[in-house]
Amino acid sequence: MSAKRLLLAMLLVGGCATPPKPNELESFEKLKQSPNYQVAQRRAPDLVAESERLFSKANEEWQSNDLDLSRRDSLMGSIKLKTALALVEYDQSKARADKAQADLRVVEDEYSRVNKDLVATQEQIALLQKLKETSSQAAMQQEKMKQEMATREAAGQARDKIAAAELALKGAEQVNAQEYAKVEYQAASDTLARARAQLDAKDFQMASQNADAARDQANRATQTAKPTYEQTASSTASQARNEALAKDLAGIPGAQVRLERRGDVQRAAVPIRGLFARNSTVIQPGHEGELDQIASIMKKYPSYNALVVGFTDNRGRRDALLARSQAQATAVYSALVGRGVEAKRMVVSGNGSDEPVSDNRTSAGRALNNRVEVIFLYQ
Amino acid sequence: MKPIRNGVLALVLLCAGHAFASQEAEDLKRQIESQRAAATDLERLDDRHLVTDEITLLKSWLDEAWQQYSKEEYKKVREVVDRCIAQAELIRQKITAAKMTAYANDREAAVRATHAKIDKTKKALLDAQSTKKALEMTSK
Repeated sequence: MSAKRLLLAMLLVGGCATPPKPNELESFEKLKQSPNYQVAQRRAPDLVAESERLFSKANEEWQSNDLDLSRRDSLMGSIKLKTALALVEYDQSKARADKAQADLRVVEDEYSRVNKDLVATQEQIALLQKLKETSSQAAMQQEKMKQEMATREAAGQARDKIAAAELALKGAEQVNAQEYAKVEYQAASDTLARARAQLDAKDFQMASQNADAARDQANRATQTAKPTYEQTASSTASQARNEALAKDLAGIPGAQVRLERRGDVQRAAVPIRGLFARNSTVIQPGHEGELDQIASIMKKYPSYNALVVGFTDNRGRRDALLARSQAQATAVYSALVGRGVEAKRMVVSGNGSDEPVSDNRTSAGRALNNRVEVIFLYQ
Repeated sequence: MKPIRNGVLALVLLCAGHAFASQEAEDLKRQIESQRAAATDLERLDDRHLVTDEITLLKSWLDEAWQQYSKEEYKKVREVVDRCIAQAELIRQKITAAKMTAYANDREAAVRATHAKIDKTKKALLDAQSTKKALEMTSK
């Protein structure tokens, strides 16, 4: 009997115990733990309220062991709450999207600004690089022009020096260096030829050096040849002059020019006779033409000095003859000075009866010995 | 006469009840079909397959509703259809929210990408400024 009672009591206790909670209700409870639940209450109050109502109802149904209804209402409540939570998620996402969109505008502005700076800087770099390139090209051009100018200058210098050497060589030729300084002249000529070839080959430095050397060699040739040349030229000139003088003197009517050499000195003696009466020292008239011609020749050859020497025959004392001859020579000297001949060019002397040119025993001979000689002196 | 009148009234009530039940059945059927079409639309709308499970559940409930309908358990059909309507609304909201979330993610990614671009551009700017300074020095 007691066992039956115990079994009955157990059945009663078992029958009144709460059944296991349906899965749907448990899920619903978990869903209600969502952190967005309170936000959902504000966002969709109707849905959440409905969900709450269904949750309470499902709980009651579970408690009252009406599990199917509890599951049904749990599902519905969950759907309502999930819908409310989806609305919250939408709002949150929209807020995020709006914020991100606003942020995007800000950062895009910033990017635009930074990129603009970058582009501007890159443009400046491009300009600077272009400027650098242009400067470099200009510097190269300048350097090239400098080199060209230096080359031209070197070429000009070489040409000038070659011209100077040519001039020096011409100078050497003027003193007949090709004959009187053969070695030096040939060396100068060869060096000058080398310089010209180097100028053509644009080796201006060597051309200049050789031109300088050629000029020096030509100058040396000139110096070597000059004394010989001058000597030769001088003797040739003086010889020509002497011949001309002799010819001019021979042109004097009645004059018998006598050419002679005493030592190094050449003499051209012009005897003038009949100038004086016997024992007179005054020139007789009628001889002006003769004196004029002698004066004219003396002026024509101003480099020639002259002796004016009086001579007599041997009739008389020696000292008297010397004095008279001296006086007669002085008279001629004075006549020539009177005709414009420089006095300093003449030396007057009287030789008396010395140096007769004919026999004093005859009157003709004596006539020849009485004379005044104008003797032109030259080397 | 009274029994006849009661009989007629009972008959009228029976006919009216039958007509009402028939109209409700039609209404439920239309709603089930409407929800099936809605489920198909939602499936198409869910191009990123974010609510596939919910749609599957909706379809299974629609099948359940149809089974109940076949058994003429119209009360249960009404319960399931109501749940399907709520589920469809939930799916719509989830899709909308998911799309908005994706859009927000996209915008945030764009912000991050732009930040990265800014950093890269700033570095390039610094390099360019150094190059420019060096060029200016050499040009002086």
